[in-house]
Amino acid sequence: MVSKSTFYYSKIIALIVLSVGSLCLAHGMVTINESTPLRTIIDNHVSNHWKEEKITHQGRCDDSTFLRRIYLDLWGTIPSHDEAKTFLNDQDPKKREKLITFLLSDPQFIQNQTNQWDLILFGRNPPNQDATRNRTPFKQWLSEKFKTNQPFDQWVRELIIAEQEGSELFYAQFNNKPEDLTESFSRIFLGTQIQCARCHDHPFTELSQKDFYGMTGFFVRLVVMDQGSSGSGEKQFKKFKIGEKSSGEVLFSGNQKELKPGKKGEPVKPKFLSGALLEEPPLPGNFKEPEFKTGTKSLPKPLFSRKEKLADWTTASNNPFFARAAVNRIWSQFMGRGIVHPVDDFGSQTKPILPDLLDTLTKQFIDHKFDMKWLINELVNSQTYQLDGKGENKDSLPAHFERARIRPLSAEEIMAAMKTAGGDPSFKSEGSTGEYFRRYFGEPTNGLGDFQGSLSEHLFLNNSSNVRAFISRKKGNLADTLILSKEPWEQRVDRMFLSVLTRLPKDPERVKFTAYLQSDPKTESLVEEAIWVLMNMSEFRFNH
Amino acid sequence: MNLNNNGKCENIEHISRRTMLKATLATGTGNAIANWGGLFNSQSIAQEAQKLGKRCILLWMNGGASQIDTFDMKPGKSTAGPFREIQSKLPGYKVCEYLPKMAQQVEKLGIIRSMRTASPDHPDGIYHMHTCYKQSERMPHPELGAMIGKYIGNKDSDLPSFVRMGPTGNAGSGYLGPRYEPFGIERNGNMPYFTTPYLPPANETRRNDLLRFMENESRKDNITDAFESHRVAKERSWRLLRAKSLFDTSKDWPKHQDLYGASDFGRGCFLARKLVEAGVPFVEIGQDNYDSHADNFVCHKANMQILDPAWSGLLIDLERSGLLQDTLVVWMGEVGRTPQINNRAGRDHFIRGWTIVLAGGGIKGGVVYGSTDADGRDVATNPVSEGDLFATIYTALGVNPRAKHYVGTRPIWATPEGSKPIKELLA
Repeated sequence: MVSKSTFYYSKIIALIVLSVGSLCLAHGMVTINESTPLRTIIDNHVSNHWKEEKITHQGRCDDSTFLRRIYLDLWGTIPSHDEAKTFLNDQDPKKREKLITFLLSDPQFIQNQTNQWDLILFGRNPPNQDATRNRTPFKQWLSEKFKTNQPFDQWVRELIIAEQEGSELFYAQFNNKPEDLTESFSRIFLGTQIQCARCHDHPFTELSQKDFYGMTGFFVRLVVMDQGSSGSGEKQFKKFKIGEKSSGEVLFSGNQKELKPGKKGEPVKPKFLSGALLEEPPLPGNFKEPEFKTGTKSLPKPLFSRKEKLADWTTASNNPFFARAAVNRIWSQFMGRGIVHPVDDFGSQTKPILPDLLDTLTKQFIDHKFDMKWLINELVNSQTYQLDGKGENKDSLPAHFERARIRPLSAEEIMAAMKTAGGDPSFKSEGSTGEYFRRYFGEPTNGLGDFQGSLSEHLFLNNSSNVRAFISRKKGNLADTLILSKEPWEQRVDRMFLSVLTRLPKDPERVKFTAYLQSDPKTESLVEEAIWVLMNMSEFRFNH
Repeated sequence: MNLNNNGKCENIEHISRRTMLKATLATGTGNAIANWGGLFNSQSIAQEAQKLGKRCILLWMNGGASQIDTFDMKPGKSTAGPFREIQSKLPGYKVCEYLPKMAQQVEKLGIIRSMRTASPDHPDGIYHMHTCYKQSERMPHPELGAMIGKYIGNKDSDLPSFVRMGPTGNAGSGYLGPRYEPFGIERNGNMPYFTTPYLPPANETRRNDLLRFMENESRKDNITDAFESHRVAKERSWRLLRAKSLFDTSKDWPKHQDLYGASDFGRGCFLARKLVEAGVPFVEIGQDNYDSHADNFVCHKANMQILDPAWSGLLIDLERSGLLQDTLVVWMGEVGRTPQINNRAGRDHFIRGWTIVLAGGGIKGGVVYGSTDADGRDVATNPVSEGDLFATIYTALGVNPRAKHYVGTRPIWATPEGSKPIKELLA
């Protein structure tokens, strides 16, 4: 456990109240000015909030907890036994910062970011299954963006333009359904749920059906053009190009409830969300839309591109939604809930608890040219991120960020963590194993995002050879190492815990496991069972 | 078995778990697994389950059964088809000649002949008739079975709250989450994947006890709902396997085959009876092959010969075991079939006026509600929507049809606004 003395929120608050320019942090006097790192500003905002609301908060988490948490959040897996040992033995007071820098500079981080954003953009069960089942080219495109740390506004712009190879799939999933695309686009990039306004004026917000169909106007002229497929078997993927027509309008026919059959809608002009109508030159009188033939490689260019205007407006630094929605989402990736929660519902009546912090994050993100890596680095270096996850509060996503959030590992993370823990890096976890894991661990929450353990998940964990394969003895893996070791069982138990749970056992645990592993002459079975037990713990199931 | 330090039961410990504890102590360690399944069939557990109240069995006619060839016959009309009518037990009400056994059960039935629904095809109709909401809304609505599991299931039960067999629904537990997901088995009771332990029972027991020890250690520090949900689900998965023998019908089936008819579907109905008796609140059994775009009459004749004994057998068996008054049996599919007979002697999908039948718990028997016009081309009186049907089902089971949930910040109700239960059918 960490002593309170490493955590100086109370002193920080006291000095802020005096509103002098300087305050005391854990490692000395710091002045809040333009060069104060964002991490410090975050901690100030959060601790002020606790003080105002009289919230009891946790202290700094211990090194083991931090280590497991940061690996999962940045790499999507747990550290190996050796990595854990090295970190825990390191005496450098700056070792957390050092580790963060290292993790952020590694290709694993790029891979993990790619998986995260792929899920944000497609979800677990995207529409147009045929096209979206294998998203390899899209993920390649996306990972290039993270590899060069391309600014967020730039890559989103390219996603909207959809002319780079691989990027087309975002539109292709909606396969010429502009209303569905409008819903997803607004949710993901503008943090606004406008699906209510699809059928009726939104009951709680200013949004009307005209707003919804105004946004749809930007997508209505897009054409998803099938370009055949590449590869074969499981590796086959479909290719697309996105065309844009010069004509075609959304027809709006009023409230769905009052809809009469046969009633024709009126054309709606494109309108930026809660903003201006699009200014658009009229089509020439003699205009005839060129044909969009299936299979053609080069598509006709529109006389006037609505999607370019949408891209300009969306990614502009003065867009009222874009940067805010992005920082809020990235914040939630590490802090559990958004400052606005749910992250894609800025329009709802729920007031953010830290509005000034959200403003600051937004402004700094823009000032730092939408640099995602910088933002993530600041977030995870904050004391707020590094709080302990324990405490009386049963809520998995504490409302005031007073302790670390508890989040279930994704299907991909569980697989990766089992692979690391099992100690056989050559183990192949794709194919049917991957499918099973995605099926049983893919969507572990109810409609409100609360975790729910499922029967099928546990039947799979208990009885599946796909899970057993990560654990059972193979040359050089964890089970094998433990069986062959000549060390006392206590030390072998330590190794097992460090490998699977990234921590050493507590005394009663060590005693229990040491006895268990010697309770039968068939050591191999006992070792396998014991590793299974650690992998089946709630402690393993969550990032905490 | 784990008691915490002060000897008090943790919240995962509960009535039936305590019962198991006794059984375990009585038989010594290691034998608990074998013994546990037997407990379920015992009188005391059945009574325990009965005290919990209502249950529901859904007989799902996959593809959509023809109303004109079953319960809404149109003799003498161009739409009638070749089947003849027979008199039912209800004076003046006739049903198809291939439902002779059901004709004798009519006093138990509430027959709705005026379903007018909105989703004309299979995936959307299956979704709509399992959730009472349109699939195109793209909201994760839960199926009836998940809702029933949530509202009338005993959360401490060792059994899943929603069991299904054969071709059934496509929506799952939706916004209610994995706690209420359907548990799919085969109609002969065969269990799904991953229900056969790879370890010998003794190893399984010691391994699971070691995990219990660890979770009890962990509980001292980690008390969030998420952790507890994981632990509870683990215990449920173990308890389910101990109740596995309940799903095994191989011994009892020969004795019931005559009553239910020797078919997969009949056997599924028998298993459903066993499951509701043991306290499973919702069981769904699908019957295949109703989608008769061609050869409607061959198809329906064959299906009814399976359906008639299975369905009537179920009602008789439920009545005999005193379960019928608390068990609602619903008979429906995703669509009806056109009055018009096409040029392949088939009937296509039809949603302008078709039939659904309710029976048992909460339903007034011997009632025929609503009607279609002379040729059966549209509803003539008392149209019933998906929402009305679900409101009726929920009311019969004692569940508030306007129960409110949230998906994110969006409120959503068990049935759509304006849905009304059919008073005439409610007991």
